[in-house]
Amino acid sequence: MTSVRWLVALALLLVLPLVLPSFLVVVMTEIAIVALFATAFNLLMGFGGMVSFGHAAYFALGAYAAALLVKQAAWPMPLALATAPFVAAAGALFFGFFIVRLTQTYFAMLSLAFAQIVFTVLFKWKTLTGGDDGILNVWPPPALKSPLAYCYFTFAVAGLAMLALRAIVDSPFGYALRAIRENPRRARFIGVNVRRHQLFAFVLSGFFSGLAGGLFAFFNGSVFPDFAYLNKSFEPLVVVLLGGIQSFFGPLAGAVGFKILETFIARQWPVYWPLFLGSAVVLVVVALPQGFVGLLQRRSWRIRAAR
Amino acid sequence: MRPRLRSTLAGIGVVALLGVLPGPDRAGAQPKPIKIGEINSYSGVATVYTFPYKEGLALATKEINDAGGVLGRPLEFIHRDDKLKPDEAVKAARELVLQDKVDFLAGCISSSVGLAISAYAKDTKILYFATHCQTSRLTWDDGHRYIAHTTNNVNQYVRVAAKKAATLPIKKWANISPDYEYGHNMWEEFSTYLKKLKPDVEFVQLNWPKLGESDHSSYITALLQSGAEGLFSSVWGAQSIAFVKQARPFGLFEKMRLVAPSVGNPDELDPLGKEAPVGAIATPFAWYDAGLHKRHPKLEAWTKKYTEWATAKGLKDPQPKLGASWGYASAYIIAEAIKRAKSTDTEKVIGVLSEGFEMDFPWGTVVMRGCDQQALPPQWLGVVKLDAQGKPFATDIEEIQGKEVARSCEEVKDLRAAAAAKQKK
Amino acid sequence: MDAVTSLFPWITNGPLIVVQVMSGLSVAMFLFLVSVGMSLIFGVTRIVNLAHGSFYMVGAYLMVTLVETLPAHQAMFWVALVLAPLGVGLLGGVIEVTLLRRIYHREPLLQLILTFGLILVIGTLVLLVWGPDNKSVARPDALAGSVRIFGQPFPSYYLLVLGLAPVVAIALWIVFYRTRWGMLIRAATVDREMLGALGVDVATLYTQVFIFGSWLAGLGGALSAPTVAVALGMDSDVLTTAFVVVVIGGLGSFAGSFISALLVGELQSFGILVFPAVSIVLLFAIMAVVLIVRPWGLLGRPEE
Repeated sequence: MTSVRWLVALALLLVLPLVLPSFLVVVMTEIAIVALFATAFNLLMGFGGMVSFGHAAYFALGAYAAALLVKQAAWPMPLALATAPFVAAAGALFFGFFIVRLTQTYFAMLSLAFAQIVFTVLFKWKTLTGGDDGILNVWPPPALKSPLAYCYFTFAVAGLAMLALRAIVDSPFGYALRAIRENPRRARFIGVNVRRHQLFAFVLSGFFSGLAGGLFAFFNGSVFPDFAYLNKSFEPLVVVLLGGIQSFFGPLAGAVGFKILETFIARQWPVYWPLFLGSAVVLVVVALPQGFVGLLQRRSWRIRAAR
Repeated sequence: MRPRLRSTLAGIGVVALLGVLPGPDRAGAQPKPIKIGEINSYSGVATVYTFPYKEGLALATKEINDAGGVLGRPLEFIHRDDKLKPDEAVKAARELVLQDKVDFLAGCISSSVGLAISAYAKDTKILYFATHCQTSRLTWDDGHRYIAHTTNNVNQYVRVAAKKAATLPIKKWANISPDYEYGHNMWEEFSTYLKKLKPDVEFVQLNWPKLGESDHSSYITALLQSGAEGLFSSVWGAQSIAFVKQARPFGLFEKMRLVAPSVGNPDELDPLGKEAPVGAIATPFAWYDAGLHKRHPKLEAWTKKYTEWATAKGLKDPQPKLGASWGYASAYIIAEAIKRAKSTDTEKVIGVLSEGFEMDFPWGTVVMRGCDQQALPPQWLGVVKLDAQGKPFATDIEEIQGKEVARSCEEVKDLRAAAAAKQKK
Repeated sequence: MDAVTSLFPWITNGPLIVVQVMSGLSVAMFLFLVSVGMSLIFGVTRIVNLAHGSFYMVGAYLMVTLVETLPAHQAMFWVALVLAPLGVGLLGGVIEVTLLRRIYHREPLLQLILTFGLILVIGTLVLLVWGPDNKSVARPDALAGSVRIFGQPFPSYYLLVLGLAPVVAIALWIVFYRTRWGMLIRAATVDREMLGALGVDVATLYTQVFIFGSWLAGLGGALSAPTVAVALGMDSDVLTTAFVVVVIGGLGSFAGSFISALLVGELQSFGILVFPAVSIVLLFAIMAVVLIVRPWGLLGRPEE
């Protein structure tokens, strides 16, 4: 992306929250959080070639860590938010150790199993987590409370995180990861420690997922065990698919697209929303292999060729 | 056009579209409607309850508006789907408050959703009318002035069941309830009240299948060995149907008397058919009961009216289920509160609610209690039997007023204090 | 801890243990019926069919409709039991031909996502066609009661399941190992390309396998309809369980599915009694343990 594009995007991000109605500011905040979660997830899936069905576990660990630190330990919100990703990363390290030993479907299923275990712990350990009543009244400090303020805050935090992820993806580590995705055996031959790279990617992915979870906790004002449940794990999967797996900004595009669809359709016809979403997913797989981003890229390819 | 510029413009276009997106223009409607943001579960498994509830709400709204509306303004419910997830509900609540600028919030079927919306309402200082969800924590432990509950909570119908259970010559009780907040709440209310009424009862076994469990054989085998003479069950819906179907051939209901509040309702009895647990004690809304009709002369006409309405709206099963009565009552209670306040100002309406009032419905008088803004409708007890055609129904209906069994205002105050103390820690 | 002692003091009660084992077996047999279809489809086409639970659900709902619309005669239950799975097989065939055929060459992830999309579509269609209300199928009178096993009552209907599943298992074995079609299927699990090179119409074989797998799922749904509530949400419950059973057994392994179903059925039955607190996660805990010890399931093979 040229610097012009960057500036335009930055300008938009700064100006839009001021001019758009409050409700849309809230939607944009949510898009930013979902985009961060999806990009973290895509680090593992698109760049690492590892599909996880249990990523919601790290999202939830981050959310609960942030919530508990603020409510039980009375930490200030920024500190709690900064610590949350580390808790999630610790979880990712522990579970990841077992998970990266497996491949493909088994990898996905074991990650799911661990996510369900996290869910169960959150659900059953009532004295600590409140069980299915959740932890309520987890609000950001007054300065950040208004939709506008929290939106800018989220943009800043998520934006920095995305920059970090971008740096990771473009680093030698990122390229090694891609090599592993393409052909693990060859990567091993050239001296890449496959297991260790995969585990590290898993932990990084968990770290940023936890950050998204922390941001979400304060956005939502409460945390619940179902943050770790199966449907939450499928969210980034669908978003990344819609947006495009292979590109870095695919998940962001997917998050925007998904939210627009959801706002237009799920609001009006809640009964039909799953039908629509399912059909859209089927359609995208059959007709649009590169997702939305791919759609844009393809047309620009054609135009370029025509000149 | 240069490709990069093209995609950038496309991006801007998309975002601008977002800005233009707000809902349909409402400038044409006059006078300005009173808007209630209603959040509930309108997709997936909860629809068996929320579809009739929504129609009850819609019927009442139409009646209210046909009679001139509230304060001369039409009542309008804007519905949003929470997908049974508390965070979706909070999102929807935000949208309704910020975007649609609703005057009040309403809704919920899942207890955790209700609690989440309640926290948001308290924080935003907007009044929330909890409707279909049942946890007593809403107005008691976690209650505050920005929440009112327009239907009974768990406490009332469970205590009514416990009252009946206390009259039975049964000392040993077992429990089977789903392992989540609602299930634990139900058992706690039942067991403590039963113990109070009949101190010599013994609780011999507690079973906590996971919510939505499909195979209960292990629990059934355990129950068969528990030595219990009575079984309290708060599994509901599809799980209740599965449990009853599975337990019957094991002879469980010959060994112990079943007390299951939800099993007397048509949404569980009808699918069970001749496999229904005959003799079970439940707390159903037996809209068809002749005794109930005699006691409440307006009930029969109401059930006819609702059935016609629901059929016209395309509901596959148009009979007036409990949820329908809840939706109907909720709309009227909200309207009444606004009427009495003579304004839609939140503080004024809270003022009315905190004083409390009573309303008559085709099925009896509902007391909206002032100290906790909690509705206390009539409760019913029934026994499951099969009719001549082998179709199950609830009969021997007894009516007990909710206010007779509900926790007192003092008890509520204590509960709130205890919960607040736990929060402080 | 109370629950542990009070749920399992009858550990020395022989007859009850037998009954509990048999209950666990009937659960295992249901699981086997559903998961073997999923395992089969994966073994041949390499597609993890997430819509398998939806097929099961459609089988159960079709059973409800058939029992309601067919003349009210006891024999009609059996007719419905035969027809419902056929309906599901047909549905599977349609899906395979119109959608799956286009994506066989794609990445496994995309195939997975497509079948996930199908879950949403089929789920909503079921809601629209049958409505939100819970439904049920009555057990046929002949099997509505119970028999006595060592003096303990045991539902007769479960005897049907216990009897049917081994029959199905043996029939499947015969099909796979004693028919030409079965041989083609086994060959396809090993090397499809070679099979195609040898002149076999692999595309048609895939369709047949998918129909067969869907038929099995539908049979599972139709058979289980009289023991549970036929309601929305059945699909995700069954899918999760079936997927776990298949993974534990090893994807693509027929024998693995059988052993895994038995293991899971019995472990869950007794696990619930010994560790009631973890009933929510017991299934996944079992899978986690198996996968940590045997990364490709009990009898699975390393994927390419």
